Amino acid sequence: MTLQIGIILVVMAVAYALAQWKTLSVEFCLLSSAVAGGLTGAFFNAPPITQLARHLVEGTFTYLDVILVFTTATIFMTIVSESGGVNYVVRGIIKYFYNLRIIVLFLLMFIILIPGALTGAGSVSVLTVGAPVALALGYLGIPKKKVAAILFIVAGLSAAAPPVNIWAMIVSAGTAIPYVGFELPLGIPVLLLGTFTVLLLGWKREKKMSIEDVLKDMPQVPEKMCWWRVLLPFLTFFGLVVAYRIWPFDIPILGLPLEFAIAAVVAFVVSPKKINILVLSRVTVKRLLPLLATMAIVGSLQQVMTATGVRGLLSYAVISIPVVLLFILLVFIIPISEGVLTYGGAAIVGIPLIWFLDSIGLHATVAIAGLSLLWPLGDGLPPTALIGRLSVMVSEYKGSYWSFLKATWLPWIVITLVGILMVIFSARLEFLVKWSM
Amino acid sequence: MSREWILKSIYIVIIMFVIIVSGIQFYNHRHYDVPIPAGPGVTGVVKLSDYNKNLKGTIADTNVFFMEGKEAGGKVLIFANTHSNEPAAILTALIFIENAVVNKGTLIIIPQFNNSGGRNTKPGDGYPLYFEIPTEWGAKKFRMGNRNASPLDQWPDPDVYVHYPDRQLLSYLDVRNTNRTWPGRAKGPLMERVTYAAMELMKREKVDIAVDIHGAETMFPVTNCIVVPEKAMRIATMTSLMVKAMEGFENHVEPSPKGFRGLSHREIGDFSDTMPFLLEAPLPFLDQPTGPKTVDLLLKGKDPFLLSLSKQKKLFVPYDESGWPMEKRVGQHCSVILEILRQFSRRASDRAVAVGNVPRYAEVVKNGVGFYYHDPEKAKKENIYYN
Repeated sequence: MTLQIGIILVVMAVAYALAQWKTLSVEFCLLSSAVAGGLTGAFFNAPPITQLARHLVEGTFTYLDVILVFTTATIFMTIVSESGGVNYVVRGIIKYFYNLRIIVLFLLMFIILIPGALTGAGSVSVLTVGAPVALALGYLGIPKKKVAAILFIVAGLSAAAPPVNIWAMIVSAGTAIPYVGFELPLGIPVLLLGTFTVLLLGWKREKKMSIEDVLKDMPQVPEKMCWWRVLLPFLTFFGLVVAYRIWPFDIPILGLPLEFAIAAVVAFVVSPKKINILVLSRVTVKRLLPLLATMAIVGSLQQVMTATGVRGLLSYAVISIPVVLLFILLVFIIPISEGVLTYGGAAIVGIPLIWFLDSIGLHATVAIAGLSLLWPLGDGLPPTALIGRLSVMVSEYKGSYWSFLKATWLPWIVITLVGILMVIFSARLEFLVKWSM
Repeated sequence: MSREWILKSIYIVIIMFVIIVSGIQFYNHRHYDVPIPAGPGVTGVVKLSDYNKNLKGTIADTNVFFMEGKEAGGKVLIFANTHSNEPAAILTALIFIENAVVNKGTLIIIPQFNNSGGRNTKPGDGYPLYFEIPTEWGAKKFRMGNRNASPLDQWPDPDVYVHYPDRQLLSYLDVRNTNRTWPGRAKGPLMERVTYAAMELMKREKVDIAVDIHGAETMFPVTNCIVVPEKAMRIATMTSLMVKAMEGFENHVEPSPKGFRGLSHREIGDFSDTMPFLLEAPLPFLDQPTGPKTVDLLLKGKDPFLLSLSKQKKLFVPYDESGWPMEKRVGQHCSVILEILRQFSRRASDRAVAVGNVPRYAEVVKNGVGFYYHDPEKAKKENIYYN
């Protein structure tokens, strides 16, 4: 069977490489790989050829919820931006905190952390608050490459931050470990690593402008724009998110896509500027299409990999690695699994890995928290590169994707070290779980 | 027409073909009903919505089979397919429904507890849509379902599921998982209404014992076991010892964790007088490191990767070349349930439940599961129920 699966894996890799050689987009490369893998699998009746179309279509639904969140969140944020709200916020931050660099950096980091911590999706952080934060960082004299790097790292950390960490939830659900006691094992490293990142990448002012010049240089905001017009859409969104936490049994479940859609309607209504919502929605979805297509096709690829046994072979390879080597290779395995499968990596690699680590005496909750710091790094890795691509998009960095990724090297290494050490010394860090409960 | 438009047209035709073919397959899967011929012990069939009117008319409503004995006694609820991707559960339940003769007390059986989940697929996990059990009269076809209810029936999901009533935060997917939504609410999300109805059933019918049948990965520590809260520990321990001594298979006891909310083995015990037992049998198909997810793997449980991991001592159950075939899993469930009833009846003779004509482990392993299913073509129409 290993030979059979090995052949399928090679065919998938060759199909991907050929598509890339033909300069097809990432989505087509992934689709080619999925179709080639499925057809080769059908040759071995795994899956049967009559089921191949169904597997390809079913897979596209794997991340439908994420796709809906991306779409509605981006439309919401684009409306806020079009209304002049983003520029208004940036102007305010610069006006009041321009000369208090540590405070302004810490404040901006905190702003990025909140949406991701509440929703478990770093992409939501980038999509909702990424643009104003990027502008503010730019006016603080930080080059766009470093701005994109800060957004990527902190947004990734926001997804790992409590109370909602989807990787930890997936692994906890799959291993029957209660999703409790994560507040300190996740909260402390996220705050420390986030502060380290913004100070490291944002401390140096590469070009100095006087506050008057900055304010003059900034885009003008519509005359009628004011704080409540900016705040109301955000308050609506976070209000709906928080309301479910406070009164979960009294209010209906709306879900993130509808919460963003409601906030978008509020932003549209209070905008001082007339916005053509249909044109705006069409342009936004067109801009997002490559990302949405990637998400859909990654689901298909994952489904084909599972139906053919390729996913199982990869999972088996990870579990079979000797312990010491495993700890070293986790540095690569965890981010790469996220880059290829997004949240699927937590299920495929994370669940068997935690069972194994638990069986050798490590503390499962702390180990999951440690791994949770590594997964968001994978959101900068192709083929999906979810948060990475969004960070580059909202920061308007025009350089190559790899040059942006290179700018993240030091925080990347520090986060990796902290995550791996948390896994290795998880038993000694058990007190963090106890203090959280 | 330019080359680009020709190419686009071809793509559209291919995509339409793929969507139509798979759409028909999804539709057929969702609407395929498994015929269940009621056996000699069945005395009545009601709907779960009889215990919570808010389920009426929804796809989550499901059949509840009553098997009342001639003599009064205790009451036992068996429910299967809480997770519809763990099919040994429904196969066990059908053996009871089609064969059991109740001499004393009452058996209440819900073969498809999460009916929506049973008509759902699991995107990303490459499951087959159906599996077939060979019988003497042909193959009996079953749907392969999903762990969670379909988003077509309960949507949207919250960004995080806040469990009722403890407010513990659970994964957003667990709002559709009927083993996280206990004890449920009458008007809560659909799956909470399902578990609420079952709680009402247990309270109104004064059920003594509830058995929730599951399957779990071989790499999962809580597998091949009986999970129970404190009040059911004694019966579970005796059951475990007896099946090991008399029938030669392991089925250890796991305590239900107090801090993990929403599970049947925790909430049924805490919110009613009923004693819950959750049965887990190994299910290699659900393990992550396996070969292709085929019907063969589902039914035979043989996998070379798991065999290798077993040699590396990374599994929590014994595993050899014979795998974990369905007969072993279903046989274990039958024997463990019968032994739980026997142990309970010994302790509470006034509430005893006596059930006959249900095979035990060795018989199911020898004869196969299909041996105990009856041809629906030959059964009276009024005795056939569909789930």
